[in-house]
Amino acid sequence: MNPKRTPSIRARLSNALLLWAVLWGLGVAVAVGYATQREVDELLDESLQSAATLLTSALAVAYREAGAGVEASPALAAGGEGDFAWQLVADNGAVLRRSANAPATALRANATAGFSVTTGWRVFGAALGSEGRMLYVAHSERERVEARAEAALTGALAALAIGLLAHWWLRARVRHELRPLERLTDKLLRHDPLDRAGQLGAAERAELVPVHEAIDDLGQRLARRVANERAFSAHAAHALRTPLAGMDAQLAVALREATPPVQHRLQRVRDASGRLQRVVQALLDLFRVGADVRRASVDLRALLAHLPIEALEVSVQGPGAVAADPDLLAAALANLLDNAQRYGARRVVVSVPAPDVVRVADDGPGAGTERLQSLRAALESQTYDRGVGLGLMLADLVARSHGGSLSLPDSAQGFVVDLALTQAVAHIP
Amino acid sequence: MRLLLIEDDPTLGEGLRDYLRADGHRVDWCQSLAATEGLHDEPYDAWLVDWQLPDGSGVAWLRTRRNRGDATPALLLTARDRLQDRVTGLDSGADDYLVKPFAPEELGARLRAVSRRAGAGAARSRIRFGDVEVDLGARAAFAQGARADLTAREWALLEALVLRAGRLVPKADLERLVHGFDSEVASNALEVHVSALRRKLGRELIETVRGLGYRICDRTPS
Repeated sequence: MNPKRTPSIRARLSNALLLWAVLWGLGVAVAVGYATQREVDELLDESLQSAATLLTSALAVAYREAGAGVEASPALAAGGEGDFAWQLVADNGAVLRRSANAPATALRANATAGFSVTTGWRVFGAALGSEGRMLYVAHSERERVEARAEAALTGALAALAIGLLAHWWLRARVRHELRPLERLTDKLLRHDPLDRAGQLGAAERAELVPVHEAIDDLGQRLARRVANERAFSAHAAHALRTPLAGMDAQLAVALREATPPVQHRLQRVRDASGRLQRVVQALLDLFRVGADVRRASVDLRALLAHLPIEALEVSVQGPGAVAADPDLLAAALANLLDNAQRYGARRVVVSVPAPDVVRVADDGPGAGTERLQSLRAALESQTYDRGVGLGLMLADLVARSHGGSLSLPDSAQGFVVDLALTQAVAHIP
Repeated sequence: MRLLLIEDDPTLGEGLRDYLRADGHRVDWCQSLAATEGLHDEPYDAWLVDWQLPDGSGVAWLRTRRNRGDATPALLLTARDRLQDRVTGLDSGADDYLVKPFAPEELGARLRAVSRRAGAGAARSRIRFGDVEVDLGARAAFAQGARADLTAREWALLEALVLRAGRLVPKADLERLVHGFDSEVASNALEVHVSALRRKLGRELIETVRGLGYRICDRTPS
């Protein structure tokens, strides 16, 4: 079985914020890339133009000083070695002089002033003197692409860093804003809607006000319902128990007055009346289970001494003390003992094999493996209509109202019931 | 014992009344609190009170009696079985608490236990007064070891005095305790019963306090 995971508000918001941060970073990178391409181009062009102006001035000075032999001037040999390439081209297209990174052939076949593009180069041409010489200053396209990419990458990284920082901050903020929800959960875990003093208190956020109101309303409805059920239970108890007591008193009188043959029949009727009394008691207890559990230290010997156990030898092994609601535990034990008696047991041993676990073991015929497994499954799934009698059902509800459950351990002889009155008992010997 | 039973359910009330009468008790049965109005000064050995009555609460009735200083032993008969109910019932002045449905045999036993506890602290059912021994549980009296043959009225008188051993019991109270309301009795009937008891159990057992009533003393619990 693969249970469907409940979506988490925090995880969903966190994922959304992360996605938003990444998309924002990418978007900003594209925008920055587009914007910087033109700016970088303009800057590079300006740098070409500036470089050309400087070189033109330098070459003009060189020509004045050296005349036609300027092409061999060592002063020009070192010039232009940098981010750009340059060529000095004669009017016939011959390259008179060039920087080391410039191509050997003229960048432009024909004299071209101003900006132009040739294969792999962005060129700026300027006429030099009156002999038709041209000065070409150029950037390779590769350099220009690198410059543009570097600008775009820097922008994108900055945008991504800002996005991730924003994601981290917003995620922390989301966690902080969800804390009132966690505190509300903690309050609800301790909240008892039947306890009038245990109100939830003021909401910490405006969004939680309707939740508080809904929970308080639910609690009030639940309290009213429980109060009604308790009132009904009290009325039902009176309405059922008093006639039963009357029947028993009348039968007791009739038994004294009757002749022996009639006495036998009357005794049978009285026994049936006793059984009816126990069933009614169990039903009334069942009604009450879950309303409230008032734990107290219970001495099992003292408790069993007050239970109506006839024709059954009951003993308590060990200290026999548990923390439980005395009324509910008495109801559960009375029904388990009644079960034992009805299924033919003569002796019952009550013990406490683990803290707050009451074991009831009888010497009756027990249940077969198949029946035991069926009972276990029914108790585990709380499908009491699958062959679980009133006694086991009541005992299980009593255990569950204490936070535990009923279990039926294997036994070599008789029927054994473990009434766990607390949560999670790992192993009971 | 003379008992006041306050129980509104006719089946239960009649059943208990007949059962307890068959046990030798004198039982006055009221089906409402209003019916007890004229019985405020009546002496009883015990009250058997239902909690929920058509015209009020038996617990409130009991609390009122206790506030007036009346210490008559009381058993609360009720369908309420919760721990808090039992605490409330006992705190309101009940000496014992019996949850319906109950067997009348258990009621009889608890009645005897409550009466013994109330009877000058006697915790046992067999009580010795010199040569006389009284067994409240078995409803029998022995003079020098021999069982005395007592009539129902003689036993009722002896029981009323034993349960109040050491205390002076006014003659009017004794007449009520022994005869209740139902019987028409002669004005000297009590003296006749006292005389019979003295004849069967010994002259020293019952002391006459002239003009006031009778008393049993010299008690030695066995």
